Amino acid sequence: ADGARKRKRKNRWAAAEDNHVANLINLPTSISGSMTPEQIEAYVLNLRIEEISQKLRINDVVPKDGERSPSPPPQYDGNGKRVNTREYRYRKKLEDERHKLIEKAMKTIPDFKPPADYRRPLKTQE
Amino acid sequence: MAALANSTASDSSSTCVLQLLNMIVPDDLNDDDEYEDIKDDVREECEKFGPIVDLKIPRQTRTNQNPSGVGKIFVRFENPESCSKALKALAGRKFADRTVVTTFFPEENYEVEAF
Repeated sequence: ADGARKRKRKNRWAAAEDNHVANLINLPTSISGSMTPEQIEAYVLNLRIEEISQKLRINDVVPKDGERSPSPPPQYDGNGKRVNTREYRYRKKLEDERHKLIEKAMKTIPDFKPPADYRRPLKTQE
Repeated sequence: MAALANSTASDSSSTCVLQLLNMIVPDDLNDDDEYEDIKDDVREECEKFGPIVDLKIPRQTRTNQNPSGVGKIFVRFENPESCSKALKALAGRKFADRTVVTTFFPEENYEVEAF
């Protein structure tokens, strides 16, 4: 998608202590029980939804330096204020991902309840 | 569901193959350079826990438009002890801003790529 992606090799791993979001959602990240592949898939789907929700709540949405994609040209509103700020773009990206995952979870996980702070986006966007 | 994930089944479920989840999405794999980058990152980190035989990161190819297991990563270790160490150590780490989830994977399924 990002045309000129010639990113320098950068290790994508970070320490568990730096993973504030995982510590807050407090869901097991090592599945040692005997779950079926379907249960594992549902579990990971739910975990990712919780992870995104937590990121949005604590406003941990912008990746670290070196993990960001190139910024698009700025867009301004009528008052000359930039609208597509970095924070806005990454928040939107996470909200879009979460929306798709929640739609999937509602179809595939019995009794799935979306996070309390989730709002369905209005139609006719794009 | 969380309780189920936590219920430590007997160690009979441990294998030589580690399954890594929630680390990548299919779009991350489209670019060949990025794909190799990811493979290197995973290999280098996993080797810290013991010798690995090989690893598989399924992705769409020209000949296979819809392979199974896209979005998952599988690493085969030489022995279950190393695999077990990696399973514990990598769980909850961050990989490109996503939380890593780990589980064992049956060796016979790995062989035939029944992801």
